[in-house]
Amino acid sequence: MRGVIFAGAALVVIAGAAGWLLTAASPLEASALSGLQPGEAARGEAVFWAGGCTSCHARTGVEGDAQLELGGGLALRSDFGTFVAPNISPHPTDGIGSWSELDFANAMMRGVAPDGSHYYPAFPYTSYARMSEQDVVDLFAYMKTLPQVEGRAGEHDLSFPFSVRRGVGLWKMRYFSEDPVVDLPEDADPKVLRGQYLVEGPGHCGECHTPRDFGGGHDKSQWLAGAPSMEGSGRIPNITPSKDGIGDWSESDIAYYLESGFTPDFDSAGGEMAKVVRNLAKLTAEDREAIAAYLKAVPAKP
Amino acid sequence: MKKLLTSAFVLMLAGGTVAAQDDPVKARQALMAAAAGAAGIAVPMLKGEMDYQPAVAKAAIATFYGVSTSAHAFFPEGSGADTKAAPKIWEDPAGFQAAFDKFQASAEAAFKASGKDGPADLKAFQQAVGPVLQNCGACHENYRLE
Repeated sequence: MRGVIFAGAALVVIAGAAGWLLTAASPLEASALSGLQPGEAARGEAVFWAGGCTSCHARTGVEGDAQLELGGGLALRSDFGTFVAPNISPHPTDGIGSWSELDFANAMMRGVAPDGSHYYPAFPYTSYARMSEQDVVDLFAYMKTLPQVEGRAGEHDLSFPFSVRRGVGLWKMRYFSEDPVVDLPEDADPKVLRGQYLVEGPGHCGECHTPRDFGGGHDKSQWLAGAPSMEGSGRIPNITPSKDGIGDWSESDIAYYLESGFTPDFDSAGGEMAKVVRNLAKLTAEDREAIAAYLKAVPAKP
Repeated sequence: MKKLLTSAFVLMLAGGTVAAQDDPVKARQALMAAAAGAAGIAVPMLKGEMDYQPAVAKAAIATFYGVSTSAHAFFPEGSGADTKAAPKIWEDPAGFQAAFDKFQASAEAAFKASGKDGPADLKAFQQAVGPVLQNCGACHENYRLE
């Protein structure tokens, strides 16, 4: 405990010394979204299911249209405290109804709120930063069409020093990157590249399937190699093509799993992954096959 | 045919453990293995990877029917430690029961629809077994940890 307090105090001192400027948010250029096609809700719906927004921002366990009521409320427990998913419905005051397209893009791709403060990376902008601007504005157009939900979700409950939001600026300096994780050759199969985009970007698979280091950032040398479950029991599986991972699954096995939840042994996914499968079942078969092709192309980890 | 025999064997095995009230975890895991075995013949037929045979289809449906009417008896309070069973089973027993009721209703309907010789063709099988298979993920989402 003493060590934690010391580390906390040290972090605050370092933050102070590093100065206000270093921890400031760095939003997108005002012109970042110019030259795009106008946001289109139909395209945005596909992005919405790839991004899995509803799994955290709708009420737990709901089906059908209730999945589109994004009032927030899911509590994500972690070593740093409990994060609560906010209301992201288009409600003008409780949700994001008054946001501009640029506000939304800053949240998704920079982790920056409209007031310039940082979001905590429980919101997986570390992955969403790799999305295309066009997908982000299409998604925004779609989310505008969803029902307004009244009421704000609860506040995060974090321990010091993680409760100091400004500290996220330091965290971002160390961990935030919009570069692709896996180095693929430039002439890689377009299918694999599409899969990389979906997995490393909107699908944010690495957020659970990659272990984190002491600071809560991803250990990219162990990309998708599995990790302890944040919720405290069990392990999130290794999904690299190794013996410990899914090396003996074919591409078609993976694609079918993402559609139906059935493993090659006909076990059926449960827990959080069942929710993910429910979202991925709404993608096109081509996109599920692309994810499968990428998962066969990533470096195998024991 | 080999798979059918395996599945039938697994089912008989699972039936045998019904008496083993003192080891409910083993009993329910065997029953779930029987359901997985049934899915392992149903899905390849649905995907066209295995030739459709009505009797094989009926064996799969009968297995689901058997599991759906019995497995919920093997989740006594306090049997969740070191298993993938989610605490929610005991926090929300009504919801868990409802999930099993749904599984049982769809499996019973499929069993009745398969008649004496099994569903006549692949389309009939798809209609009967499709709703049954949906219960796997739906129940695991809430009541199993991973």
